[in-house]
Amino acid sequence: MRIAVLRPQVPFARGGAEIFTDELVAELRARGHDADLVSVPFKWYPGARVLTQAFLWRMLDLDEADGRPVDVVVATKFPSYVVRHREKRVWLVHQFRQAYELDGTDLGQFGPSPEERALRRRVQQLDRLALREATQLFATSPNVAGRLERSTGLVAEVLPHPPQALPYRVAPSQGFVLSASRLDRAKRIDLLLEAAALEQGLELVIASDGPDRKRLEEIARARDLDGRVRFEGRVDAERLAELYATCSSVYYAPVDEDFGMGPYEAFLSGKPVITTTDAGGPLDVVHDRRTGLVVRPDAAEVGRAAAWLREHADDAAAFGGAGKALADEVTWDRAIARLLA
Amino acid sequence: MRVAYFSPMPPEASGIADYSALLVPALREHVDLTVVKRGTKRPPRGSDLGVYHIGNNPEAHGWILDALRRVPGLVVLHDFVLHHLVAGVTIGRRDGHGYLDAMERGHGVVGRLLGHGVLDKRLPPLWEARPEEFPLTGEVLSLATGLVVHSRFVEDRARAAGFAGPIFRVAHPAWPDPGVAPAEIDGDPVIGSFGNVNQSKRIPQLLESFARLRSEHPRARLLLVGPVSPGFDLERRLQRLGLSGDGIVREGYVDERRLWELMAACDVHVSLRSPTMGETSGTAIRALALGRPLVVSDVGWFSELPETVALRVSVGADEALELEAALRLLAGRPEVREAMAAAARQLAVGEHALAAVAERQAAAFETLAGGRAIADEVLGDVSAAAAGVGIAPGTPEADEIARRLAEVDLGG
Repeated sequence: MRIAVLRPQVPFARGGAEIFTDELVAELRARGHDADLVSVPFKWYPGARVLTQAFLWRMLDLDEADGRPVDVVVATKFPSYVVRHREKRVWLVHQFRQAYELDGTDLGQFGPSPEERALRRRVQQLDRLALREATQLFATSPNVAGRLERSTGLVAEVLPHPPQALPYRVAPSQGFVLSASRLDRAKRIDLLLEAAALEQGLELVIASDGPDRKRLEEIARARDLDGRVRFEGRVDAERLAELYATCSSVYYAPVDEDFGMGPYEAFLSGKPVITTTDAGGPLDVVHDRRTGLVVRPDAAEVGRAAAWLREHADDAAAFGGAGKALADEVTWDRAIARLLA
Repeated sequence: MRVAYFSPMPPEASGIADYSALLVPALREHVDLTVVKRGTKRPPRGSDLGVYHIGNNPEAHGWILDALRRVPGLVVLHDFVLHHLVAGVTIGRRDGHGYLDAMERGHGVVGRLLGHGVLDKRLPPLWEARPEEFPLTGEVLSLATGLVVHSRFVEDRARAAGFAGPIFRVAHPAWPDPGVAPAEIDGDPVIGSFGNVNQSKRIPQLLESFARLRSEHPRARLLLVGPVSPGFDLERRLQRLGLSGDGIVREGYVDERRLWELMAACDVHVSLRSPTMGETSGTAIRALALGRPLVVSDVGWFSELPETVALRVSVGADEALELEAALRLLAGRPEVREAMAAAARQLAVGEHALAAVAERQAAAFETLAGGRAIADEVLGDVSAAAAGVGIAPGTPEADEIARRLAEVDLGG
């Protein structure tokens, strides 16, 4: 089958959606499909640019390429699903969240003026029209499916996907807490830093990069965390797998996250996850005292959870093991069979 | 976003006042909304949008039409037929010429001539005799920058009347079930009809059908709640049909609490109407919230209720027979009543849920207030990009761009 995987691309940024789409193309090819990635740059500001950039997708002609038909397109996140195609399957990573649950929060985009309110509604209207055209509608997590149904009335089948391919392994803990989330505000790494400031003896490794890095480093300095927090930046696959394998726990507590591969990566390394009650998607797999610890989004509680897992290695290993059993169930074989059914 | 909200409000005795009392707090979760005082002539300074609730009653809506004439805005059109309103703000204010102009605007020279006949008292008032033939909605539609309607019926008629602006179809919100104890009314089943007792509520047909039902279900009771309209001789009809004994329970105008108690006492609600002005029935919505099966006329908004919650009766020669069949079915099949009751509750907490309705109305307000500017910006951006690579208006390439924009409702 000839399959185009559609990915809006914020130039120079790389996160879960990019990893997911790269791996999807690779996994489709590994199963004999003629798959390729179709990527269009995306910029969502200023003003109505979010709509005009979305409209670029509508102008694409993906019915065929080089004289041969494209059998299926797989749209992933806003606005790739604005594309036209007779066999448009949407595997929804997320909608334009600023127009929905992030509206009115610090992470929102649209102000109170009539024009900005109308712009938000136009984005919602575009979603309804474009997503209704899908011949199959999947969501990467119950959280994403729930948001979709609440906002558009459309029902998606939940279809999780495996995390990125790393040389996962299980190894003894070296006592540090790992955060491998992209460094932006929504991932709430600052909460972990504040936890370390309160919980003496807590050591952190931050293995990622992003627009919030400078602010986070300033917080670490201001809290006198030098020596206990290590910002490693973006690391290669081998190093990341090593960090997962040797940490005591993985911190993953974004604000109402869509899906989040972090917990799956932790579980495949046999590690428990610390998350918060408002984290959204991760709560589908991080279950308190079964696969990790779920606490309120409060620095002291995060700190205590991290210290407890470090000091109770047997429990931590049991939680991680239970998580691994969950993660092992999510395979590309199953996901692709369903996607192309 | 600041919204100036023109609507009758309690304690005015108006279904639309009740509607707004329910909806306004929920709308305020989304927009900065000011309910203007009755008689206000224009939206307060700084308002981004005027929202005008227009219905057919000139007492309740005449001042709102006056304000709409000064500053156009979004109209929540509760009735499509506005003849009574127009007559009230013209003839009722000694402005016969205004009435003639409205009739001519809507119905040409023939309309003007008919208007003369009404003014000269040679014809009965058209707003009483044939309002549905002369809806007189034209002026309101010409002033509205957008419409909120509750039914496809009104939407279709507004389009047929030439309204080209945006129309937002948003369901009537359902009141939450207040959980009152049902009034003690003996009967099996208890069938209720609420509202004015008159011909247009099809009370003659209901009484005839109920009388026949009683021959098979002697314990059935009919609860008639509401004032009797002038000229409608209820007592004589009851006597003629042999219903003046214990078959009928009568109450006149009741307050809100008593209304709920009486409605809760019913096993079946009958909500008939003909002719329809395009209105929604607040009591039918309350019946849904209580989880009661409905029997409705197959007209207007009532026709759009799902078959799972309402049995429809066509208006005309077989009306009483169809109504009798519907009542027989519901009287004799409690399991059908239960299934319809469950579907009614589901509809009330789904499509008619207050929070969902408020969200959709707020979306309408926001889309209308700022949508033009956004559409212009999108079109400007796209056309500049097209012009930059030499795509000129009128070329096939420009046509394709326009087509694609229209597909996703970005075409302005």
